[in-house]
Amino acid sequence: MNENMVNMMNALEDQAIVDPRSGPIAMRLNNVSVAFNGRMAVRDVTFDVPANNVTALIGPSGSGKTTLLRSLNRLHDLTKGAKVTGEILLGDEDIYSGGIAPTVLRSRIGMVFQRPNPFPTMSLYDNVVSGLRFNGVKKKSILDAAAEESLRAAALWDEIKDRLKAHGSTLSGGQQQRLCIARALAVEPEVLLMDEPTSALDPIATQKIEELISQLKARVTIVIVTHNMQQAARVSDLTAFLLMGEDRAGEQIEVAPTLKLFSQPDDPRTMDYIQGRFG
Amino acid sequence: MVVAANSSQTAAGAEGRRPSASARGAYEWTLLVVASLFGIVSVWFVGTIIWQSVSTFQSQGLYLLTGVNWVPGAGTGQPSQYGGRAMIIGTIETSLIAMVIAVVIGTGTALAINFFVPQKMKTFVATVVELLAAVPSVVYGVWGMLVLAPWFLNTIGPFLSSLPGGTAVLGTTVAGKSLLLAGIVLAIMVLPTYVAISREVIGAVPHELVEASLSLGATRWQTLWRTVIPTARIGLFGATSLSLGRAIGETVAVSLVCGGSVGTTFKPLEPGVTIAGWIATQWGEAVGSDQIGALFALGAILMVVSLAMSMFSRRLVAQQRRAAAVV
Repeated sequence: MNENMVNMMNALEDQAIVDPRSGPIAMRLNNVSVAFNGRMAVRDVTFDVPANNVTALIGPSGSGKTTLLRSLNRLHDLTKGAKVTGEILLGDEDIYSGGIAPTVLRSRIGMVFQRPNPFPTMSLYDNVVSGLRFNGVKKKSILDAAAEESLRAAALWDEIKDRLKAHGSTLSGGQQQRLCIARALAVEPEVLLMDEPTSALDPIATQKIEELISQLKARVTIVIVTHNMQQAARVSDLTAFLLMGEDRAGEQIEVAPTLKLFSQPDDPRTMDYIQGRFG
Repeated sequence: MVVAANSSQTAAGAEGRRPSASARGAYEWTLLVVASLFGIVSVWFVGTIIWQSVSTFQSQGLYLLTGVNWVPGAGTGQPSQYGGRAMIIGTIETSLIAMVIAVVIGTGTALAINFFVPQKMKTFVATVVELLAAVPSVVYGVWGMLVLAPWFLNTIGPFLSSLPGGTAVLGTTVAGKSLLLAGIVLAIMVLPTYVAISREVIGAVPHELVEASLSLGATRWQTLWRTVIPTARIGLFGATSLSLGRAIGETVAVSLVCGGSVGTTFKPLEPGVTIAGWIATQWGEAVGSDQIGALFALGAILMVVSLAMSMFSRRLVAQQRRAAAVV
């Protein structure tokens, strides 16, 4: 464990730990398993995602963090042979029960990916409002307002407001990722899934995204996958630690308020991981 | 220092194996001769076509592009008339029909191969498509003549003519062979080429963009129409131009099914001719430098059009590659 971590944890221990799950819950996962062609990738994950908080999924490579995240907006529907079992509730509705169409679900649960992926043929403006257009919004005044509002929310407005007609490739990596965040926010999702959103970015761009995450939780519930434990400690309120089991399926080891998980984990394997003994 | 020592060693080693001056000379001379042969043949080829067609361009002028009569004057005492309108319009019409059909069906097929065909079957389908692209065009022509033409004569033609305004717009088929049939045979002929290229172009669209689109609540159709096709559009345009280049110069397949008469109406169900088909069928009957020159002139027009098209499509495909590299 490096010195920063030690200092940070000592600081954390001094604070009173509040479990964010005592407040409103945005999503509930009950015995969620994901299998590809009959082979388990994630097994029996059960925890609540507190509303307007940041929940981090951490764990070494192969522990099923991303696989679990992608089951939350039914992105596995595209993969032949993928099967999600168990119950995932958004509010009171099971997202796999057929009550919510996948397209509607994905406009309620947005996603930001590992690598910034703005649409290369669209202008910055068209990128931001693309989700609204997919959902049938055509009125220019609505699109304009949404574009400005979500670009401001993504802390990008001031940097690009004069060149909204330019293309995404003219932005830096960090700006592109904030553009993708703005694009996801424009649809007004209830939950925002972030799959290692800073793994392709430099430290300064990473810091900006992390600051943004802390601001955004006021308006949207965030679930973030990160391989960076310090990032999880910095930005999240609740942390779920996953680990690959003996049959190579990811299992949930411990879910706890971030302060607690990083200072007094209940499971010795969690302690081993946060102390850098494996992964 | 070590590097320097090594490199001098290598140089010394190479010294021992360096070919003799005469061997080097032979090597360079062989390459030079082969390359010059190619250059000479190209210049000879283009030069001949221009040389042979100059007199026709001079005597016919614009009539070569707009005229409707193809009457050699030799032996009649009248001046020759070489009007290429029917051939030029026939070429454009059959190519356009072929392109519309090939682009619609071909893009759909390429999308299906990329997004709906199971992974295990993809290689198989792709191989079959590429094999079909290698079938000689005369095979497509014979098939069109023996299988499609009778069907056109008895079923498709009468049906199309019976549609409201069918006869006025499409005309009436007499023998099945027609500009429309030629266009369809061309479409079938270029489809494998078009699918083979567009399958790769569409496959090069990053999967992250598909996921980005779906994660915003887009349907699969919206994702294809607004994300995949726009991203691949320049490459698809390139595939179209390359296919068009093939269709526009096709000779045998077209002359077997187009009907072969110099018409004036250009209705799709009626017979017509194309430049390439006309050159091939008239060559045997052409007597005198005058008539041969006229065919060369048509060939020159076709060559310029094809060349322009090919350069255009190359540029587009190269642009798409650069754009893809930026993404």
